[in-house]
Amino acid sequence: MKAHKVVGLLLCTVLAAAGCGGGSASNGQAEIRFIWWGNDDRAKVTNEAVKLFESRNSNIKVATSFQNFQNYFEKLSTEIAGGNAPDVIQMDYRYLNEYAGRNVLLDLTPYVGKEIRTTDWNAGFIGSGKLNGKQVAMPLAQNATAIVYDPKLFEAAGAEAPAIGWSWADYKERSAKIQASTGGKIAGATDFGGTEDVFETWLRQRGKKLYADDGELGYAKDDLKAFWQLSKDFRDGNATTPPELVTTLNAGAEQTPMGKKLSASEHTYDSLYGGYNTVRPNELKLGPYPSDSKETLGSYRKPSQLISASARTKNKDAAVKLIDFLLNDPDAGKILGANRGLPANLKIREAVAQNLSGANKVIFEYQKSVDAKLGDAPAAPPKGDGTIYKLMQRKHEEVVFGKKTIDQALDEFWRDAEEALK
Amino acid sequence: MVLAERVSPAPVRSVAEGAPPRRPKNSQGVAYLFLGPWLLGAIGLTVAPMVVSLYLSFTDYDLFNSPQWVGLDNYAKLFGDDPRYLDSVVVTLKYVVWSVPLKLVLALAVALLLNSLRGKGQAFFRSAFYAPSLLGASVGLALAWRAIFDTWVDTPDYALITIVLLSAWQFGAPMVIFLAGLQQIPRDLFDAAAVDGAGWWRRLWSITLPMLSPVLFFNLVLETIHAFQAFTQAFVVSGGRGGPADSTLFYTLYLYERGFTEFRMGYASAMAWVLLVAIALITAVLFRTSRYWVFYGDER
Repeated sequence: MKAHKVVGLLLCTVLAAAGCGGGSASNGQAEIRFIWWGNDDRAKVTNEAVKLFESRNSNIKVATSFQNFQNYFEKLSTEIAGGNAPDVIQMDYRYLNEYAGRNVLLDLTPYVGKEIRTTDWNAGFIGSGKLNGKQVAMPLAQNATAIVYDPKLFEAAGAEAPAIGWSWADYKERSAKIQASTGGKIAGATDFGGTEDVFETWLRQRGKKLYADDGELGYAKDDLKAFWQLSKDFRDGNATTPPELVTTLNAGAEQTPMGKKLSASEHTYDSLYGGYNTVRPNELKLGPYPSDSKETLGSYRKPSQLISASARTKNKDAAVKLIDFLLNDPDAGKILGANRGLPANLKIREAVAQNLSGANKVIFEYQKSVDAKLGDAPAAPPKGDGTIYKLMQRKHEEVVFGKKTIDQALDEFWRDAEEALK
Repeated sequence: MVLAERVSPAPVRSVAEGAPPRRPKNSQGVAYLFLGPWLLGAIGLTVAPMVVSLYLSFTDYDLFNSPQWVGLDNYAKLFGDDPRYLDSVVVTLKYVVWSVPLKLVLALAVALLLNSLRGKGQAFFRSAFYAPSLLGASVGLALAWRAIFDTWVDTPDYALITIVLLSAWQFGAPMVIFLAGLQQIPRDLFDAAAVDGAGWWRRLWSITLPMLSPVLFFNLVLETIHAFQAFTQAFVVSGGRGGPADSTLFYTLYLYERGFTEFRMGYASAMAWVLLVAIALITAVLFRTSRYWVFYGDER
């Protein structure tokens, strides 16, 4: 009995000491949480980079976790609402205003150019993380809209591959050709009418934009009508996918008509090429959007992802340090490669470009080929854009399935979109 | 059940009457002690959040900033100025009206079949038919369903039907309850009917269904409530969007979208309360009608 008591006492002392050790964490020790969306590939390289960061900063511990894109923002919003916000947050352009507009992101302005180095950056690109003069996020990497296509099908049908200078009329004609050559089994183009990203690219080719500077819709009803009419022309001309495939565009590459080998070309972002390449290895290529304008493709240098800190983080310095490390450290750059798109730091981008293979090579080469025709990113979309994005899909679906005429759908879209922007 | 009492009333009564009403002083305290864990959970995890949600339903709350009181605005908008809300009500009602009867008829049919199998592998088939319900709300199952009904799911006219079928297929729970109810019906009733020359349908209509009506009522109420709250299947099958073209926009799905992707938690809370009241009303109506068709055995 006595021996037990002694052992017990000793254990208590040890535990107390350990407890004490834990308590001293406030002396320069920091623990931060970093979350992002992505897949296993991305998790592997990101965790490797984070480990390197920890080994260089022994006083900072980083806990990481990731989700797929669909669940990510639902989880993030509940965590923030529950007062349990992660310290470092991967952010999406479309959601930037939803969060920053609600004051949950740390203003990084005081750190930019100092703790967060920007000497090797394109100044215009830094601006894509700015809202109302505040740097609420830093772009992590760059991507742009693109057409992913199957060169074999184009060749077999005697259709020229997508290249700068091709028009929407060319696109329709070639798609119809391909569709005819496969006996209608494989569509020439995936129906694009419900995708806001395509509409935006198309608008920009006409010198317009999705949102005006005051955050209202930047286009007129007739613009969207013309765009939906274009999509209808593709359908009427047997150049695009049947209605029941219109709804599959939200899922991963394996679920899209392209991933299922039911379409010869599909609108996408170049940064998503890796996903397509996993489903159909070495079969697909990237090409530019068709454009009726000689000057512009409508595509722009979009931040594929951004990185922010929580406004309520207790470890601002550690969070900022991690952000700078992920953006600007050459070794981190080497580990992360082009996993999130073209690295934002131009020196790192160059270094990564030296050593490319597979999907990364295709993405880099595509961006190089269109770079001269790319514009700067517009201001981040206003609050409510997430809702409008889905609204456009839904209303277009109703048109495609013959539930509504273009004009009916247009009226309803307009009413609900204005409501969403209130 | 009541029926058991009628068959052998003597022993039941004697136990009840023979035991003197013995109540130790602290018995209530002990009861509350045992209730404690559940009570804490019920108050902390159910009642408190409900009260908060009732409060939020009168506010404009975006999850991040403090709620702003707006009075009845959310409720007014629900009924006056949100066509999609009404669409979601229609979709949900359609689902309830189709899926509940279908599920109950299937459950009853299989229960009747199993009941006639007394001893001949009944246990095995009971488990086999129950299996899909065990996987009930599982995401994997809904994904499998999505893959099987690939094109149907992506067409507005058929998408809701696939979800109704998925729910009907999971008839295990009502089936087991029906089966238990069937086994409670005294056999002498059937024997007497057989002597009188009643055929299978006659016995089903005049004995089985009336004797089973309390169980049928119980299943009807439970399944109706469940159907109004259906979420997982629709969420997974439609990829979380209620599509295509809002054809599977269930009430709960729209509520979720409003609350968690559009950050209108006050509005979503108002929706939740309207649903609660609607379910309560419909349940009350069912109880009202029950006096006309539910037979509790002891009635004359």
